Amino acid sequence: MKIRKGDIHKIEDYLWEIPKSFRPKMRVPARVLASEPLLDDIMEDRSLVQLVNVASLPGIQGASLVMPDVHEGYGFPIGGVAATLYPDGAISPGGIGYDINCGVRLLTSNQKITDIRHRLEELSKEMYAQIPSGMGKGGQIRLSPQEMEDVLRTGAEWAVEKGYGKKDDLAFMESRGRLGNADPSLISEMAKKRGTDQLGTIGSGNHFVEVDYVEEIYDTTAAKAFGLSKGQVVVLIHTGSRGLGHQVATDYIRRIMAAMPHYGIEVPDRELACVPFNSEEGQNYFKAMCAAANYAWCNREVISWEARTAWKNIFGSDQSLKLMYDIAHNIAKVETHRVHGEEVGTIVHRKGATRAFGPGFEELPEVYRSVGQPVIIPGSMGTCSYVLVGTTKSQELTFGSCCHGAGRRLSRTAAKKQVNAPVLKEQLKEEGIFVEAGSFKGIAEEAPIAYKDVNMVVETVAISGIAKKVAKLRPVAVIKG
Amino acid sequence: MKIEYLPHTADIRMRIQGNGLEDLFRAGVLGMGNILKEGICDQEHIFDRKAEIEIVAADPTCLLIDFLSEVLSHSYTEKSVFCKVKFLGLSSVKGVAEIYGKKVDGFDEEIKAVTYHEAEVHNSGIGGLQTMVVFDI
Repeated sequence: MKIRKGDIHKIEDYLWEIPKSFRPKMRVPARVLASEPLLDDIMEDRSLVQLVNVASLPGIQGASLVMPDVHEGYGFPIGGVAATLYPDGAISPGGIGYDINCGVRLLTSNQKITDIRHRLEELSKEMYAQIPSGMGKGGQIRLSPQEMEDVLRTGAEWAVEKGYGKKDDLAFMESRGRLGNADPSLISEMAKKRGTDQLGTIGSGNHFVEVDYVEEIYDTTAAKAFGLSKGQVVVLIHTGSRGLGHQVATDYIRRIMAAMPHYGIEVPDRELACVPFNSEEGQNYFKAMCAAANYAWCNREVISWEARTAWKNIFGSDQSLKLMYDIAHNIAKVETHRVHGEEVGTIVHRKGATRAFGPGFEELPEVYRSVGQPVIIPGSMGTCSYVLVGTTKSQELTFGSCCHGAGRRLSRTAAKKQVNAPVLKEQLKEEGIFVEAGSFKGIAEEAPIAYKDVNMVVETVAISGIAKKVAKLRPVAVIKG
Repeated sequence: MKIEYLPHTADIRMRIQGNGLEDLFRAGVLGMGNILKEGICDQEHIFDRKAEIEIVAADPTCLLIDFLSEVLSHSYTEKSVFCKVKFLGLSSVKGVAEIYGKKVDGFDEEIKAVTYHEAEVHNSGIGGLQTMVVFDI
């Protein structure tokens, strides 16, 4: 299947549609949220073919959607949203991804960049020493079987109870860091084994811990509510459920693929394997996914504890880091949305997409409720990241979703060919960005050149109205696997 | 046996060819091992890790992907890279094998998963079998 520009209809300046008539199996149109230059970029890989495939999922509502940071994935595109009808629409593990509840969190400090710039190198080394990163590296915590059950059931609460987290943090996490439907008995022994020593570890790939400062404030009201001010130093954490989540996804894609014929479901790509949400297989996956998501929230809370330890070691025991917000970008949630003028229950799959609810959302802590939900958009090392705030328009247009990052544009191989990592590390240091990484290969693969322009991505979501810009963050120290 | 690594925007795409099903599976294990730890499966080793695998699947493609997923899981739980496969039985829907590997201090690449995306075991046109395997990185 080839998609040409002529197959795509412009709806608004930043919204494009491939109509349902494009292919017989499409149940809804496929929509792209992008500026025209970004759309041209998106057409370079197979993201749109994958988006069209998603539009054929049983029970899909409204449209299959991709955000401006989309890139080709495996089955589902990365940067996509698919909402299916609750309770018997499809649930697809591929629509969440292998890294269940991969997400980001932002911690704020009361330090100003001008006061600590001379200590950044020391801080980055201490962060690297405290936070285990890299391939196959275990953490400081080794969970007993009972502790594993508790982590999978209670998420970030476990870390708080054991002294690895702060009680006040819980209100500042999506779903308060715990999904109630989690059932640890549905997680395989292999998955539990893989997760035994990985709490508090960031892993590799595009995962990182970053020290940034607030370079610019765009929305003073929202920034004030979120506790952000110009020049303030903040810590950004990006990781997920590690090997445990990868194993859960692997286990259930296999089971769901085997179950599909029983429900008469055929999909154009095996990675779109799905079953009705309310089927036994669908419910088992959903409850296992919730447990893996809880592991991820616990992981990010433990990493915050490690970052806080590093922070105190450098700046003194009276200094700490406050959680601004923690948000998932690989997850499925049961949510109510308006489709063709009617409120319907949906299963919203976000794969490389962030929830972006507007003001009034009850789950939000009271201090954020009048402005909306924080949305954290990490860029690439050496560029910048953003804090946005969700809007009611996102609930009308994108099932309450927004982009999740800059989005890759170069393959890892191409990045390695084009980037001299030791030179890049020195260049970044000259620009005031200290990079601590497990390997030069990791630096090359994640170089800024490998990513789209995060500014363009964020401008697109801001102009389209699905989120508003609150603050721009500039990195000063990057810790990678 | 032939292993080629091809570009993919975010992940790793590998094309493998084999003279038959066993050869194709061995190419998959070797190709994946060399991603986890560059060049490790190209060297002579005295293997210090062994695991047993039994997989049943609907077709040869699913069998290969599930087999490689199982090898990958053992790599992480054993902190090892597996390079050698001894088949105790292999049909188009069932595989029983012993895998042999080497303990490592760390991996060069973290593979999140072996995906079914683009995988399709088919005749290579030169008397063997081939398929694409996309790894989620």
